[in-house]
Amino acid sequence: MTDLPIVGFVALSTALLAVGLFGILTRRNFILILIAIEIAMNATILNFVYFGAFSGGSGGLTGQSIAVVLIGFAATEVAVGLAIVLALNRLKGTINVAQATDLKL
Amino acid sequence: MSIEELAFLALAVVALVTAVAALLVRELVHTILWVGVFFVDLAALYFLLEAPFLGVLQLGVYAGAVTVLLLFGIMVTRKRIFSREAATGIGSVPFALAVVTFIFAVAAVGELPQSSQPVRTYDPTLLSENLFGPNGPWLLLLGLIMMAAVAGSIYLVREGRE
Repeated sequence: MTDLPIVGFVALSTALLAVGLFGILTRRNFILILIAIEIAMNATILNFVYFGAFSGGSGGLTGQSIAVVLIGFAATEVAVGLAIVLALNRLKGTINVAQATDLKL
Repeated sequence: MSIEELAFLALAVVALVTAVAALLVRELVHTILWVGVFFVDLAALYFLLEAPFLGVLQLGVYAGAVTVLLLFGIMVTRKRIFSREAATGIGSVPFALAVVTFIFAVAAVGELPQSSQPVRTYDPTLLSENLFGPNGPWLLLLGLIMMAAVAGSIYLVREGRE
């Protein structure tokens, strides 16, 4: 049993989400965008874990179960993202997303 | 202030600093190093929250597999591993958007109960029963999506595709 402040955790995951959002919006390198998405995703997973932990009853177990599934989803997303990086690099010779504009009208 | 609160504060500061550093340094390999520290730091937070299974999973999947995958992505897409990124700068609009999001969310935190609450410890056996019992369908869905993702990734990177 430990005593931890809820507000601190909420502020931390909010700040991490803001950092991830900032990275997604400002970076041009595909790998950096992937990393920013991972940071935002980790903020979400942290949310599930501590809201579960503070809810009492069997809520902690549910929160941790959802977190386990989400970690799997995040790893899958990185694998697909890197496949896109490799395909983009082969097609364009660069992984700068500013040059991947083939679908623009 | 208890030792747990001190540990949480230290871990939170490290998490924020490493996340920001990962996105602002100009060498991609340094980014991976920073993000590796970030993942290990989050694993420590899970241990602090009495979720040891998740902490180990975070260390294995994120700090291990994802970091190496990202490093591999950099290795195969660059001629010189340590070449620097062109400075993209910080756009004023995205920065303002991120700041506004943070301010709104922090304002919403005021609605939450302010007192600290005890965190319960769970046996990993109970977690596995919960994971394979009521949450079993989600696990199956995860497996199916992972299988589809592997097939899609192989299709994307196979030779001879134009």
